[in-house]
Amino acid sequence: MVVPTPKTLFVVPLVLATTLLGAGQDLTLPETWAAGDKEAALIAWGHTIAMQGNGLPGNTACAECHRINGGGMPSVGIPRIAGQTETYIYREIRGVQKGTRYSPYMDGIVQNLSRKDIRSVALYYSTVRTPKLHDPAEFDPSLRELGRRIARRGLWDRNIPACILCHGQNGRGIPPNFPYIAGQSKSYLMGQLLSFAIVKRKDDPEGLMRGIASKLTNREIKAVAQYFASLEPPVYGKIPEKNRPDRLRLIPDKETPNR
Amino acid sequence: MTPRRLVLLLLPLIAGFLFDPLPTGASGNKNFQFFAPPAEGTLPNGPLGRLIRQGELIFIHTGQYAPRYVGNDLTCESCHLDRGIKPYSAPLWGAYGTYPRYRSKNHQVNTLEERIQGCFRFSLNGTPPPVDGKTMKALIAYAFWISRGAPVGLYLKGQGIVRMSKPTSPPSPDRGKAIFEGRCSLCHGLDGQGTQSDNGQVAFPPVWGPRSFNKGAGFYNVRELAGFLKMNMPLSKGKSLSDQQAWDVAAYIHSQPRPEDPRKAGKGT
Repeated sequence: MVVPTPKTLFVVPLVLATTLLGAGQDLTLPETWAAGDKEAALIAWGHTIAMQGNGLPGNTACAECHRINGGGMPSVGIPRIAGQTETYIYREIRGVQKGTRYSPYMDGIVQNLSRKDIRSVALYYSTVRTPKLHDPAEFDPSLRELGRRIARRGLWDRNIPACILCHGQNGRGIPPNFPYIAGQSKSYLMGQLLSFAIVKRKDDPEGLMRGIASKLTNREIKAVAQYFASLEPPVYGKIPEKNRPDRLRLIPDKETPNR
Repeated sequence: MTPRRLVLLLLPLIAGFLFDPLPTGASGNKNFQFFAPPAEGTLPNGPLGRLIRQGELIFIHTGQYAPRYVGNDLTCESCHLDRGIKPYSAPLWGAYGTYPRYRSKNHQVNTLEERIQGCFRFSLNGTPPPVDGKTMKALIAYAFWISRGAPVGLYLKGQGIVRMSKPTSPPSPDRGKAIFEGRCSLCHGLDGQGTQSDNGQVAFPPVWGPRSFNKGAGFYNVRELAGFLKMNMPLSKGKSLSDQQAWDVAAYIHSQPRPEDPRKAGKGT
């Protein structure tokens, strides 16, 4: 007998729905899209993957964890992806595929995604908007000042620059190379900082985050994670005109969609 | 009382004297390697405190708080990292007590105000703020505050920019280009023109071109620029470039177009 916890109440109907919807449907991308509809077609295909997977073994719906509108699940540290740029989401999924981005949950799921699938789903989630979800993590008021200080001033005596130098004013990101971190959950941010610190996650350009995270104490990680978790995420992270990906070195370099 | 007992009695006093933090570390950090400015939150109240704070804002957001005097996308903090505190990025505490100083750049003894005017004219490719104006007063007040407790007339460790010894092979813009595109373009762009945040503000500054420092600036000197890169770039990973790489990247940046030296461009002296 399954006790209907809030999680199963949510997941079970979703799995049922996706199974029913997916049955008998042709899940491949039609070849006959007109050139002008290419982006719309990619978004539509990305939406399909997000809702039910691409139909290949192992590939489940992104929405099962990242939610339909990409708000993530703050309680278990699954990140918001809504409004991250297409370039960034693409890069991270590729990173998981290649093993440079540590994610024991995702690495099984994304192996059967083609480059086109990844591009589609990245494009889809970059256009999705969703408000910040409730973060049930405990916030320690005694760490508030420390978190704010690390975020806005840095700890330069240990060569730790202010987070906002690269992650933008109020953590809004400097797209596409530096993602927004404002409004991510405390557990996600702490998880990533720890993952960088022990060099499980190694997809950061120049090893910048590995270097910085390994210099932070656990207390500082907690403080800075809760600071950014307390901020509002940007609504839609467009790539500013000046930061066109063809002007910047991107990671992974050549295969990143040039748009 | 025997002399021995006397010593024992006085021991705490002697120890206290011996281990008292030296006044050079004004924040009281006993492990200090470099001069430490006053701790945050100790800013005085009243008009002086407000002027210092104003100076700090000008220092960080120069284009926003001193728009009349800035001609490009740089701020004071572009070169003087951590609000003018980081060692080896020409910290204010290393400059404040070393002026007035004779400078071969203009064959004159310069005051700190005149030195700051040079920053605006060359590094910010703009107009020097008047010595008795509000902008200059605020910046001097901020420099004064950051330097509280620093000795006057002495050179401190971490002052200025590291002076690079001669490279093993002549600096090569070609090698520098490869390094720049591989490691620096992430933030500064393959074309060196910097990046923007999503609200259109400058995120990472352009390092050449019309919105960068002009040919009269200190960083137009390859050795100076190499010294800065060596100790500070990329942010958080200073010293990760070899000396030769720092020279090569500096040579590459130097080889790119930028505004002329205003002294040679007919703007007068």
